[in-house]
Amino acid sequence: MPDGPLIVQSDKTLLLEVDHEQAAACRRAIAPFAELERAPEHVHTYRLTPLGLWNARAAGHDAEQVVDTLLEYSRYPVPHALLVDVAETMSRYGRLQLVAHPVHGLVLHALDPAVLAEVLRSKRTSGLLGERIDATDVVVHPSQRGHLKQVLVKLGWPAEDLAGYVDGEAHAISLAQDGWTMRPYQEQAVDSFFHGGSGVVVLPCGAGKTIVGAGAMARSSTTTLILVTNTVSARQWRDELIRRTSLTEDEIGEYSGARKEIRPVTIATYQVLTLKRKGMYPHLELLDARDWGLVVYDEVHLLPAPVFRMTADLQARRRLGLTATLVREDGREDEVFSLIGPKRFDAPWKDIEAQGYVAPAECVEVRLTLPDTARMTYATAEPEERYRLAATAPGKNRVVESLVARHRGEPTLVIGQYLDQLHELAEHLGADLITGETPVRERQRLFDAFRTGEISTLVVSKVANFSIDLPEAAVAIQVSGSFGSRQEEAQRLGRIMRPKADGRTAHFYTVVARDTVDQDFAAHRQRFLAEQGYAYTIVDAEDLEQGSTGQRV
Amino acid sequence: MATFLDDLRARDDDALAALLRARPDLASPSPVTLASLAVRATGRTSTDRALAELDATTLQVLEAVVVLDGAGTPPIRARLHDALGADDDVARAAVDAAVGAALERALVLEGPGGEDAGGGAPGVDRVLRAAPGLADALGPYPAGLAPATVPDPPGTAPGDDDPAGAVAALLGQAPTGAAALLDALVWGPPVGVAPAPRTPAAAAVAALLRAGLLAPGTGSHVVLPRGVALALRGGRTHAAPALPPAPGAPAPGLTDAGVATESAAGAERAVRLVEALLRLWERTPPRVLRGGGLGVRDLRRTAAALDVAEDEVAVLVEVAGAAGLVADDGEELPAFLPTASSDTWAAGDLPQRWSALVRAWVGTVRAPWLVGTRDEHGSPRAALDPTVQRTWAPRLRREVLVALAALPPAVVAPPEGVLAALRHRAPRSVPPEPAVRAVLAEAALLGVLGAGALGAPGRALLAEVVRTGPVTSGDEDPVAAALAAALPEPVDVLLLQADLTGVVPGRPADELADLLEAVSVVESRGGALTVRFTAGSVREGLDAGRTADDVLAALARHVPGGRVPQPLEYLVRDVARQHGRLRAGTADGYLRSDDPAVLAGLVEDPRLASLGLFRLAPTVLGARATAGELLAALRAAGRAPVAEGPDGQVVHAGPATRRARGRGPRASVPPPPAPPARVEALVARLRAADEHERALEAAGATAGTGPQAGVPTGDGGPDRPGDAVARVVERAAGAVRGTSPRAGRDGKGDVSGGASGAAGAGGTADPASALLVLRQAAADRTAVRVELVGPDGRLQERVLRPLRVDAGRLRAVDPARAAELTIAVHRIAGVRPVDPPDAP
Repeated sequence: MPDGPLIVQSDKTLLLEVDHEQAAACRRAIAPFAELERAPEHVHTYRLTPLGLWNARAAGHDAEQVVDTLLEYSRYPVPHALLVDVAETMSRYGRLQLVAHPVHGLVLHALDPAVLAEVLRSKRTSGLLGERIDATDVVVHPSQRGHLKQVLVKLGWPAEDLAGYVDGEAHAISLAQDGWTMRPYQEQAVDSFFHGGSGVVVLPCGAGKTIVGAGAMARSSTTTLILVTNTVSARQWRDELIRRTSLTEDEIGEYSGARKEIRPVTIATYQVLTLKRKGMYPHLELLDARDWGLVVYDEVHLLPAPVFRMTADLQARRRLGLTATLVREDGREDEVFSLIGPKRFDAPWKDIEAQGYVAPAECVEVRLTLPDTARMTYATAEPEERYRLAATAPGKNRVVESLVARHRGEPTLVIGQYLDQLHELAEHLGADLITGETPVRERQRLFDAFRTGEISTLVVSKVANFSIDLPEAAVAIQVSGSFGSRQEEAQRLGRIMRPKADGRTAHFYTVVARDTVDQDFAAHRQRFLAEQGYAYTIVDAEDLEQGSTGQRV
Repeated sequence: MATFLDDLRARDDDALAALLRARPDLASPSPVTLASLAVRATGRTSTDRALAELDATTLQVLEAVVVLDGAGTPPIRARLHDALGADDDVARAAVDAAVGAALERALVLEGPGGEDAGGGAPGVDRVLRAAPGLADALGPYPAGLAPATVPDPPGTAPGDDDPAGAVAALLGQAPTGAAALLDALVWGPPVGVAPAPRTPAAAAVAALLRAGLLAPGTGSHVVLPRGVALALRGGRTHAAPALPPAPGAPAPGLTDAGVATESAAGAERAVRLVEALLRLWERTPPRVLRGGGLGVRDLRRTAAALDVAEDEVAVLVEVAGAAGLVADDGEELPAFLPTASSDTWAAGDLPQRWSALVRAWVGTVRAPWLVGTRDEHGSPRAALDPTVQRTWAPRLRREVLVALAALPPAVVAPPEGVLAALRHRAPRSVPPEPAVRAVLAEAALLGVLGAGALGAPGRALLAEVVRTGPVTSGDEDPVAAALAAALPEPVDVLLLQADLTGVVPGRPADELADLLEAVSVVESRGGALTVRFTAGSVREGLDAGRTADDVLAALARHVPGGRVPQPLEYLVRDVARQHGRLRAGTADGYLRSDDPAVLAGLVEDPRLASLGLFRLAPTVLGARATAGELLAALRAAGRAPVAEGPDGQVVHAGPATRRARGRGPRASVPPPPAPPARVEALVARLRAADEHERALEAAGATAGTGPQAGVPTGDGGPDRPGDAVARVVERAAGAVRGTSPRAGRDGKGDVSGGASGAAGAGGTADPASALLVLRQAAADRTAVRVELVGPDGRLQERVLRPLRVDAGRLRAVDPARAAELTIAVHRIAGVRPVDPPDAP
């Protein structure tokens, strides 16, 4: 098509022109096999990766479809080598299958004996495979199912896991849809996951991943193990499950540092699972404590390495991964693919925002010029001290104050990294402070007060980064963060993305000190946020205080 | 029977011309007569050359003709079809075409027609005979058959009535297993090793030898006679005609347009990479190895900088070298540098630049695939090394392109397919497989191939290569034009985004490409260009002389809507704000003082102008003089400066004193005095020479200048040149004699000059004395007659009035032309006085 919306680059990126009339159709067509890399205002960049193409194969798409889609929407002739490569890559998925053999149990079955021969020759598969039955079948030790899949992805011959799952211990769970219903995309996500068996659902923060988890549990109606990042998040899950499902408090156990309850539905933290004593993981037995029918992984992109190893042993159980992004900063996407499963559902942020399920957000970076004395101190500081100096520049208090004043009455979160700075800020603003030292009970009290509107400003440390639910935060002001991590940005942004009752735009401010490393980290942040398609503006603190750009912000 | 010469004579002019074109070696040097042409054409060298150019089908035809003609049964065409097994129309047409080619090259001659039936096409019924010398050139076993000298058993010669029957009859008497033995030899080679004695096979061989079905060969070999083999082959010479390999099927999804686009993309990439190469080498020129090549580390560095593989960079470097874009600069420590012609190249547009590159590529003898391999001494071959070349490389590239061009459009030929095609095209000169693969890779890298198929630009290039006519001096370069047609329309739109990226949704127009090149870094290429603006990239743009406003305005011009996103604008302004905040300059020393007035006074002081003082700040001056010179000059000017160290502390030091680095005392050896006898001998020789000179001079003066010569009159103006020269010679002679104190001091040069010169007749051809004469004439402001070596090497004589002689040059006035000119002294062959004016 000479006027198509898509441009295929030779480095396997796809450029989608957003304003094109066929952009929406094209987006739908390429979404199954291409990963959205960045989505700024005019041109979205997708990338073709082997994992993405295999995800597409797992979802039932074939190479011909992919090639046709590219040819159909591409504005210019598509590089031939790329088409050949797509077909070649996709043809590698599923040539090997893991199947349940009536006599031999778990078997690796090859549709192409040559592939099996190649895999058997590899050193990496030694010890994972048992006796060879015939030219196309090899016995697999059931305990090595996960490891084998990992190895096969690494070898470039990802296996299709058709061996099925154990049913697990039945436990009746149903959704209590009283006064609320699952959103259409949530239902689709549950359907896609269950149809596929195991896999990952990608939804933006604030899009209701917990509901998808609850929906999957209801569909499975078995005992369920839920793995979450921390205790606060665990309690959030428990509250949400009690609210949304037929489960009662007695049926839900918490397995954390504080409590060790094992109930039909057990919520455990990654921390407690990965706790290591004398070279042993004492809490691993949890995984075998019951005959789990479903394992839910919250925040898959944060899954710590030891959990991958444990998950490798859980291959006979259904696994649901929930995440906002498949991008892992440690690059272990392939392990997520092989151990938890292929991507089963994906909805871009912008789409969900457009449907009104998450609030639109505007990002503003406020650059503060340091006074000369501070600049001199900074210039002569030791390199390792510099970030702290820049991040905790005293002028930031004033900027935060004026930002809080501007959004007076709106629920506002002030997020920072350094406790001294946060104490000072809390004092300065006359606001309550939550840090890692704040007892859970106190935290819950403050969060509740914030939720009800009793208090409008909260100063929080990085405990707020993950999985705590502050529904009505409309403004987030970030004064310092860990060093430009994309995940942190996404999570912090997620704090304010819940849809507001009055449809207001959320505001995300970052206060940085000009001409310091602070600003360099801000560049990463800017890139990430703008790539996610958020309007991004940079203003000078001086302008802000004079109010001259007030209208623009 | 007609001889070869008769055949040549019988050819009309066109046929003769065709012969000379098809076998160009016959035409140079030009033969004098047809007879000498015939001798040359039937010679082994020329025949071998002709065979090397022939395709497999034609070679089969030649073999068949040689075999059948040698057996006394020269074939007509129909018989050839049978002999080669051409049993369908395609094969028969191929055979007929091969016969045509053989006839044209005079490798096969047409004999007289049998009984001319009159109905068929011309020549159909005429017998074909092998040209003299052809059988030898084809080797001992044409078509896998034994030499004709091996005797056939009776009744089995091809000319006999029923050779097959005769062979069958003979075979019938042989023991079982004999037929199988013969089968092994039927399709050649016809020679086998006799089995060990006392085995069943040995018995069978013995029986066959007895029957004459095998003949004894050299040593323990046995040979299958030609007639027997032919009979067993059913009268055929070949099992099947060698037809060109079938082209592959078109690649799925690949269209002609796709090939052209990818070809254009490849071309653009190649040109961009060569440009990057030139820029890189301009900044950091790589050293030339002693052997003349490019060091492997420099090759790797270049590959890393260009982000391409090493074998690719070798091709790029070699092509750039072949196109004359980079060369050894010939300095004492030689380095490879972009040449002057690379500037011309860089000024062209993309199609022109590409055309220059691929034309150089297709015609070069350079063989980049050898780079990195080891030579016969085991050392790796370097890129640009003079030995990395193969004379057959241009022919190979042409042949590969021809083979690719023979395929239908959008058909991708794998290297094996191309090799098969080449093998068919010229079985007797098959290029090495690695070279063929390398040439294909080169073509793909340069964009001559797109997606592995020959696109329109590549075909245009081939058309240029195989064109036989004279180069038309047309204004349009067809290769460049073909690429220009294949390039997508340039796009002048830039989409800027808040994440500091920009996208040109197509091929950027030149101006836009330059702008983005200057202020951004490229993220990806392909159908579109995506770039990212970073602080570094913007700063480079500013370093190159652009301002923030320039950059923003230029960007806005290409953006639909004309608005640059706020974050990008902020970035550019922020970088501009910091740009130039630090400034660097050169100073050899500095002065500082707490009192600006003192410093201001120093800058203005004309006596201190030589120090090159300039104001850096009210309390700091920079200087072009070192600290020591500053101190000395200021103290001399009555000031009281002190020196300071790098830490700002005052350094009390005496005046800086310099010392040579001594090597300790050395015994001084005075030059030994010359033995007195030698000095005397030298003087005697000089005197003798001088006498001789003076005698000549006197003779000349008497004859030429008349009695007044040598008498100073007035101021010695130009109207009396004779005087001047006379005085010159006198002084020169005086110098030799050592009578003038000055000349005596000057010594040696004058001595040898005077001694060896032949300043006869008041003139001289000796360089040193010529200089002397010229200097004197300049001093006297007189004219002399100067003999100059012209640019063509001939002597010319001019009357000049020398002005100055220095630094190897003579500046003089030509009074006749009233022009001043400068002449290199080495071009002056002689100086003579101007002929005296005719006696009044």
